[in-house]
Order: sequence, then C-alpha cells, then structure tokens
Amino acid sequence: MDTYVQVDPTQKLDAYKAVKKIPLDEYFTSGHRTCQGCESALVMKMMAKAAGPRTIVLGSTGCMYVANTTYYSTSWVLPWMHTQLGSSGSAALGAAAALKALMRKGKMKKEPINVIAFCGDGGGADMGVGAISATLTHPDYNCLILMYDNESYANTDIQLSGSTPWGANTTFSTPGSVRRIMHRRWKKNMAGMMAAGHPTCRYVATVCMSYGLAAMNSIRKALAIGGPTFIHSLDPCPKGWDYDPYISHELGELAVNTGIWPLYEVEDGVLKLLGRTQQIAAKKIPRQPVRDYLLKQGRFAHFTNDDIDYFQSKVDEMWEKWLVPGVIPFKADLEADAAPSS
Amino acid sequence: MGRLYAIEIIYRGIFQKLLATRIQRAIVLAAHNEGKVGISFGRYGDSPERNGIPAKGFAIVATDPTTLEEGMAKYEPKEVDITICVDDTLCKGVESWAWYGLQPVNRLLKPGGTLIVTSKEGPETIIAMTHRKEAPYQLSILKGTVSFSGLWVYKDDHTDVRILGAVAKILPDLFSLKSVQKAILSEWKSELKTISAANAYERTTSITVNPNQGNPEVPYKFDLPKWHEMREGISIPSIPAGHEMDDPKSHAEGGFQPDRNPTFLKFSTRTMRPVVNFDTCIKCTLCWLQCPDSCFDVTPEGLYDANMKACCGCGVCEAVCPVKNCVTMVNEAEFSDNSSQWEAWRENKEGYKSWLEDKIKNPAERSHGFRYRGQYEEQIPEMLEIAAGK
Amino acid sequence: MAVATVIEEQKKRTEETALITGSEAIAVACKLADVDVITAYPIRPYDTVMQYVCKLVANGEMDCEYICAEGEHSQFEIVKHASACGARVFCGSSGVGWMYAMECLTVTPALRVPMIAMVGNRALDDPGAFGVEHNDALAVRDLGWQLVWVDNPQEALDTALIAYRVAEDRRVFLPCAISCDGAFLTHSQALVKIPTQEQVNQFLPPYDRGDLLLHPDNPITVAPQGNEDWVMEIRRQNYAAMERTYGVIKEAYADFERIFGRSYGNPFFEEYMTEDADIVLIGMGTLSVSVKVAIRQMRKQGKRVGFVRMRWFRPFAAEELAKSLQRFAAIGVVDRDYSFGSPYAGGVLAGEVRHALYPGQGKKPPVLGFICGLGGREVTIPDVERMANAVYDAADGKKQPLTQWIGLRE
Repeated sequence: MDTYVQVDPTQKLDAYKAVKKIPLDEYFTSGHRTCQGCESALVMKMMAKAAGPRTIVLGSTGCMYVANTTYYSTSWVLPWMHTQLGSSGSAALGAAAALKALMRKGKMKKEPINVIAFCGDGGGADMGVGAISATLTHPDYNCLILMYDNESYANTDIQLSGSTPWGANTTFSTPGSVRRIMHRRWKKNMAGMMAAGHPTCRYVATVCMSYGLAAMNSIRKALAIGGPTFIHSLDPCPKGWDYDPYISHELGELAVNTGIWPLYEVEDGVLKLLGRTQQIAAKKIPRQPVRDYLLKQGRFAHFTNDDIDYFQSKVDEMWEKWLVPGVIPFKADLEADAAPSS
Repeated sequence: MGRLYAIEIIYRGIFQKLLATRIQRAIVLAAHNEGKVGISFGRYGDSPERNGIPAKGFAIVATDPTTLEEGMAKYEPKEVDITICVDDTLCKGVESWAWYGLQPVNRLLKPGGTLIVTSKEGPETIIAMTHRKEAPYQLSILKGTVSFSGLWVYKDDHTDVRILGAVAKILPDLFSLKSVQKAILSEWKSELKTISAANAYERTTSITVNPNQGNPEVPYKFDLPKWHEMREGISIPSIPAGHEMDDPKSHAEGGFQPDRNPTFLKFSTRTMRPVVNFDTCIKCTLCWLQCPDSCFDVTPEGLYDANMKACCGCGVCEAVCPVKNCVTMVNEAEFSDNSSQWEAWRENKEGYKSWLEDKIKNPAERSHGFRYRGQYEEQIPEMLEIAAGK
Repeated sequence: MAVATVIEEQKKRTEETALITGSEAIAVACKLADVDVITAYPIRPYDTVMQYVCKLVANGEMDCEYICAEGEHSQFEIVKHASACGARVFCGSSGVGWMYAMECLTVTPALRVPMIAMVGNRALDDPGAFGVEHNDALAVRDLGWQLVWVDNPQEALDTALIAYRVAEDRRVFLPCAISCDGAFLTHSQALVKIPTQEQVNQFLPPYDRGDLLLHPDNPITVAPQGNEDWVMEIRRQNYAAMERTYGVIKEAYADFERIFGRSYGNPFFEEYMTEDADIVLIGMGTLSVSVKVAIRQMRKQGKRVGFVRMRWFRPFAAEELAKSLQRFAAIGVVDRDYSFGSPYAGGVLAGEVRHALYPGQGKKPPVLGFICGLGGREVTIPDVERMANAVYDAADGKKQPLTQWIGLRE
C-alpha cells in the first residue's frame, strides 16, 4: 500500500565539484532589460543553469518579470510564465500538481520535470509569504520557491519592503530634515522562518551569487531532494542600494563577511552553516565591521556613527546572543534595544 | 498662436535621473521667469528606469497656455529645438527598454536644432559616433567628465547649471541667462552655481554638422505585428538553446555561444567595454560565470569573448578577474564597432596585442556612481575647475 | 463474467437518477469530466461542492489533485498554472471569497486559461451574510469571463459539462463561471439524471492546450510585461475570442441534445409563456421558480405575463434578446443585485437589457427595473405580482420610478 505522502521521482542533480564542471549551456540568456551589474539577473542565470533544460519556471511580478520579459521579447530559453505578485507559492504548487496528475493519469509522458517559482522580496517576504508557507506544507509536490531579495520593491521605484534593512533610504523612507531614519523595522528573517515553521519542508537555504558555485549546488539540492523547498538569495542591487555596478560582486562578499548575510542550509531539519559563514561562526575568520559594507552604498549615506554602531550591535547580537547564531533570533535573556534617535 | 519650444534630455537611466530631472525642471522654471508656461516630464515608457539603459525627459515651454496645449496634445514631441545628451557614449544610439530598435540620438532634432553633448572628446569623435541626419544641425560640446551618480546621493558637479547656461546661449528666445540664474537661486540657493551657468553661457559655441557627416549605419528597427498576427495567450516562443562556436582560422568547433534575445541587444547601455587579453587569460571562468548578461561566448579553446552586442558594460568581469590587466574596462567612445575581440586575436595575435595595449593605456575615467562615502567630494573639485574655466 | 460485474457494466451504460444538491451536481460533473486539479477553500455556500469532491476523491471515485489552499487568491492561482501546464481544472468561491481572488480572476481570460469555476452566489460583506446576491459573480462581467446562471441541479450538472466543452475549445480558451444561487440551489437537493461516462466522453474531448502548453517540449514565454505598443492588440484578441463563444456555445448545446437527449432550447435564455404575453419579466437564477408560479396564478386572472430567464450573461445574446423583447408592451427586469449610482440607479441586468434594446430597429418598450431578493431574501409570489402590475402600468404609460425596490420594509 502507498504511504500517504506520494512524492514523484526527481531529477538526479549532483553537486558540481568545481566551477569548471559547470555546463556551458545557458537557459536564461542575454537581452534582458535589467540594470548594469544586476545580481538578480545573475540569480536567474545560475538558477536556470543549475536546473537544466527539463524545467518550468514561474516568475512573480517584480524586476525579474518586467525587466526580463518585455512583451514580444524574452531572455528565457526555458518555458516561463508570469505569476501574480504574491503567488509564487501557488504557481509552484499549481504547476507541480498538474504534472503529477497528468503523469499519473497517463495524460503526459512520465519524467521528472523541475518546477521553480521565483519571487522578489516584495512578492515573497511581504505579499506572498502566506502562499509560500502553504506550499511548503504540501509534502507531495516537487517544487522550489526561490526568493531573490534585492531588499526593496526595486522594479516599482525602490519602495521599502519587509526585507529592506533598517534605516535604508527608499522612496518610501526618504530621510528628511527632521526625521533621518524613516525605516525603523528590522529585516524579516525569511529563510529562518521558513525552516523553523515548516517541519516537513526538506530543504531551506540561503545563497548569494558572489558564491555562485555554492549557490548553484544549493539550487540543485533543493530540486533533487523531493517535496517543496525554499531558497533565499541576497542580491546586491546597484539601482536601489545606490552603488557603482562594478562592485556588485564585492558587496555580496561583504554582506557575508560582515555576518549580515549568513549562508546556511537546513536539510531534513539539520542546520549546516556554509562557506565563509561557517568559518565566521567557528571564529576561524573575524567578522568584518558592517561599516565596510554600509558606507559603500548610497542608501546608507545619511547614517551617523550612532546609526552605524546600532546596525553593528544588531549584527553582533545575531552572532553572540541568538541561540542558533545567525539563523533563529531566540535569546536566553531579555535585553533592551536602544535604537538611536532619528 | 504663440511659439512652442521643445527640449529633450537623453540620459543614462538611474545614473543621470536626478541630473535630467533637475535640468528639465529648471528649464521650465527659468522660462516661467519670463512669463512663459511649460511642463516637464520623464518619458513614462522608460520607467522604471534601469542603471545605464538610455532614457528620456522633456521640457515643453510655450509663450502662452493655448500654445502649450499644442505641445501637450502629443505625449512625446515629434521634433525638438534642442537635444541635450548628458553622456557622449549615447551618441552611438539609443535603445530604450521600452521601444524596439536603435534610434539615433539626433532623431527628433529640427533642421538647424542643436545637439548639446557633455564630453571630454572633440567634435570629430562625437560626430563619428552620431548617426547621419538628412538636414544640417548644430553640435555644441560641453567640456567635462560625464556626471554619473545614483538614486540617493547626487553628485553636484554643476553639470546641471552649465547645461542651463548653454541652453540660454543657444536659444535666447526661450530664456535669458538672467532668468536661468534666478531659477538656480530659487531651486538650489547657490551663488556659485549661477557663476558656473554664466561661465558656460560665455563659452558655449556650436558647429554645423552637415548631412554627409557622421555614422552612415542605418540603425536596426522592428515592425510591430498586427493583432491577428500575434500568438494568442500573451505567449511568445522562448529563445532557442545555443550552439558551439566555430574558430575562424582552424574551423575547429567547440565551446558555446548562447542564442540571445534578438529584439533587445543592450549594447547602447554601455559606456565602457571590457577588453580581454587572451594571452594572459587563465580560463578561471569567473568573468563568464559572474556576468549577469551572459555576454561571454566560450570559444573552442575555452577562452571567454565578451560579445559586444550583448555586453552592457557593468564591469563585473574586470572586478572578478584574478589576473592583472586581463580584463580592462575602456571608454566606449574609443571603439567604432562591435566586432569580436577573440576573432581579431585569432587572426593576428601580435596585431591584437598592440591594439590592446593602445586601448588599455588610458583606462576608463568614468565612475558609475557611488563606491564609497566621500567619493563625490573628491571628484567634484575637478569638475568645478572646468566649470570655472580653469 | 460474474453477474455483479455485468450489473456494474450496465449501470455505467444507463443513466442513473440521484437526489443531490446543485453543488453536488457540479461535483459529479467534475468527476465525469475527469478533472485533474481542484482547489478548495472554505466559504459558504459554494464550499459544499468541495465537500462532495473530497468524498469522491476519498472513495476513489475521482482521480485528481485535490488541494486545500490557504485562501481564494491561491486557490485560483494554483489552478491557473495547472491549466497552463495542461491540466483540466476546477475551482470556485462565493461572495467576498470571489472578491479576494479578484486579482487572479482578472488575469485568467487574457492568459486564455479555460478554468471552470462555480460561484455559489452570496451577498458581499459587510454585513457578512450567507444569502444570495449576484454582485459577486457580476464583478468579473467586463473581464473576459463567460458567466452563466443555472436554476436547478440538473441544469447545474449539464451546464458544467457544456462549460468545459466551450471553454476548452481552442477557438475560445476563456474561463467560465457557473453561478448557483446560495441556499436555493447550493443547499437544496433534487432528482438529477447522472449521464454515463460514455456519453460524457463522447461529448467532451480531452483538454488540449496545444501551442500554449507550458512544458519543456514547448518552450514559450507566457505573459511578459507589455506596454502601450501591445496591450490593445492583446485585448483585441480577447475580444475576438469572446465573439467566437456565441457560435461555440450553440454548437455545444446542439451536440449536448444529440448525445444526452436533453434539450435546453435557446442556449442563451429560456422563455416561459412568452408566446402570447402582454408584458414580460426578466431575471436570472432560482427566482425563476416563484416567478413562474406567480405567472401561472396571474394568468388565471387574465394577466398574460411572460418570463425570460437569462442563462448566459457573458456572452450576452443582445440581438436575439432585443428581437424577442420588442414583442412586448413593457419589460420588467428583476435584479438580485445592485449597481449604486448607475443610470437610473438600476440593477446590473436592467442596465444590460436597456443597452441591448437601444441600437435595435423598431419598438423600444419601456423597461422598469426591480431590485429584490438581496442577501437571500425570498422573492415571493406577491412580490412578483407587484412587479408585474407595475410593468402593466408602465405599458399604460403611467409615470413611476424606473427602479423600484421590491420586498423592502418601507
């Protein structure tokens, strides 16, 4: 008798052992209308490459919709379909359910087909969090939801999202003459929330395309493991973060090396810190000061030294006070939070 | 019926958005100081803007409200008195993300109208880049480093007011220098900026560009299909998978060239291009892997050739390359075509080497916006010196 | 062959009769149509269809992915994408649930997704009320959805099969919502003839997404972002598809009659006792029952009243309707909905009927609008008589408000 959870076979997608083992083929190609140095476009490219040709991609509204596919023009080699802003979870579920039903009923040739739905931080961490959460509780559908996080509604004009860092300048949090810090919310911890809140979800990871090989291997693992999975990618955004596109790659590295963006995976409930993050946690390398990261971006140009110190203290807290450092913000003791006055 | 004036500003998306907006607004305000009325707007089809992708803004001014309506009845003017091009590499053509094909930068200029270009180059270089036009027009070069910044921190290097001074000189009917200075004071409260405007006014000259001068290439364009010729369900075919490359010399096949979106080439977004030293390349793959635009073709011998139709000049390849001077970003104005560097290298390695050395000896001076806090403060004095005429 | 098996086989070949609700009848249609992906979310009264689907799946009578979503927005997005990937889908909602899904309802027609949805018509909040009003389904009337109203469980089942046939026709590829009045239809059981699987297979071909299939073997990019250079052309394509539905619906009803032996006459609207009528009432949904009974009573008093029940609201058979209505001295439109601030403050159907009559040649009888039965209030026989009397007055040229609220405590 079948078990009550019925997962179809997935593609065998082993990790690439080295960058030179990465296939040359592109499944998301040139001619998208993204900014110079767009790291989210790089996510699309690496994601498509890691997934390979037998893949369906659903993309929710955002930069990676508007800029990549302007009607009568596309950069996708893979089959791709738009989904509504908050619907990446539903899109993944719908496509996966269709494939499962049609193959079981003999209406479509049986084969493992990857289903990936992506969303930005606006579509994922704000509007779509409910649908993503729901999909992660459906253990019998093979799909990956990938959230590319450029820390604002970057397509619409850089408005703050639930994923925008504290204090950042956006068109909805422009510093003024009386109030300097208009965005006083801390960035939502999506990957931690998804991992902690969905016990049957077999794989959750954070990635950054400055570590492309590792990111692609996380994507391959997420697709191959079976059931719904979630990946959260931090993407430096030259437009919204206000920096020279030339330093896109460096800013991704800085986000990791300052400890602001921990790289980790949670596989079947087992947490593993990855790469530089693992070395930081093991105290093999020091965390770089957040100042090095913040002062390279125009969105933080209005920060005072107090602001920078506060930001640093919150990142210190992630590593020194959190019971699961860098991942889950539970603490053993109550501490006062002293944000600088605006 | 009064007189209608139309001025367009062609600029690099995001990098020059604040600059263009300031110029547009000030034109209308300066004209208003003389009793004229006007509107200023960014072309909606270019928004949301993308870093580097060409965009347009307009200032429409009239001697009276009724005449202004004549200008407003067409959303985008069909012809303009002045085209202000705030980055000289835009003279190679404008491929906006909202339209299809490449458009000459002087397309909307009236016969005898003026193209103002901010540049460090001389007229020969600018004219060679710019597409030919049927009727003669004027070219006026505003000397200086092209002003780039980002969304939040503005680099106040006086490019804005210098252009306003130049406009007052070129089109005295529109507004006088005095009206420009009054607008500058009310908008930005800076005496120094009024002086920069006056200096630019004094020094502005223009030359005539005749129909036989300029780039003879006919820019590519597309015909839009009729409704019943389009596929249903808002669907279009995806891009075909790529293919192996063919070595022009040995005819060996191998490597990989992706197929690319044929209707958006993106090279007009570029202000710098990577020049690759194939002799020192260690084939580490990083430029290829980290390119957000998948612009590198992989050659049969495993080298990486930046495809100049697809490259938008972000510079990430140079940033990630571990070998010194293997990938160097060079000012786009130095090049006249989009041909393959690898093919040139395969044809004549020695010749390519001397070409490469010549190209990279003057690395690009452009800064594409914010790299660290305090950077603009370091860069502005040089521009202020130019503005002061030193 | 064992005797039991033979009986089973015979049962499959002959129609059975079952005592089921309108919701259950639609669930049975989904089973017969071999729907692949169904999404459920609770809201009265439509959810009764999903309760029945659940039983069919649990008992092995139906093989589909039956997904309980976390909200109506997801419910409709899930089936939208499933349909794009080639699955036959079913979905539905009621009242504010339908409105919660509105974003997804707007995108479905342009994507040419032939989704079938049941709307268990329900009053919109606030106040939260479970009873019937038609404003929920009508909210999508301009967007490219086909809208059909049924008034009994048999018609619900038959119309669901017809809806799949029409929506999935390559000339159409548009979604269709089947409206069932809350309580009166969703929660009352009636005797329904269940067609055989063979009949259904003969009537309804498999869903073939063709060149629009989202699959690695057919790499397409679907719904890129458009601009002013394209949107009009895309809308014009949808306009053409909706225009083609008239012919496809007629074909489907003709085939339905041939295969199932049940005729619905004119597919777009049903006429009741109109042959000799002086005046006529028009309405949609289950209020037809009390109207018909009232008409029979009024006829005993010598009042020759007829009734037109609109079945298909989109597409709207304007020319045919206008031609029919011009025969009468006056017309009364019975709206179970409202359109505040609309011309003459009438209901939605009243506006459509006036609109249908305006361009036609010949007579333009006076049109009165009635708003009644809101929030599930019963439309009584005296209500119908009051409406008919007012329409007679209109025929006599007596001045009165063009829109009247009937059954209201005044």
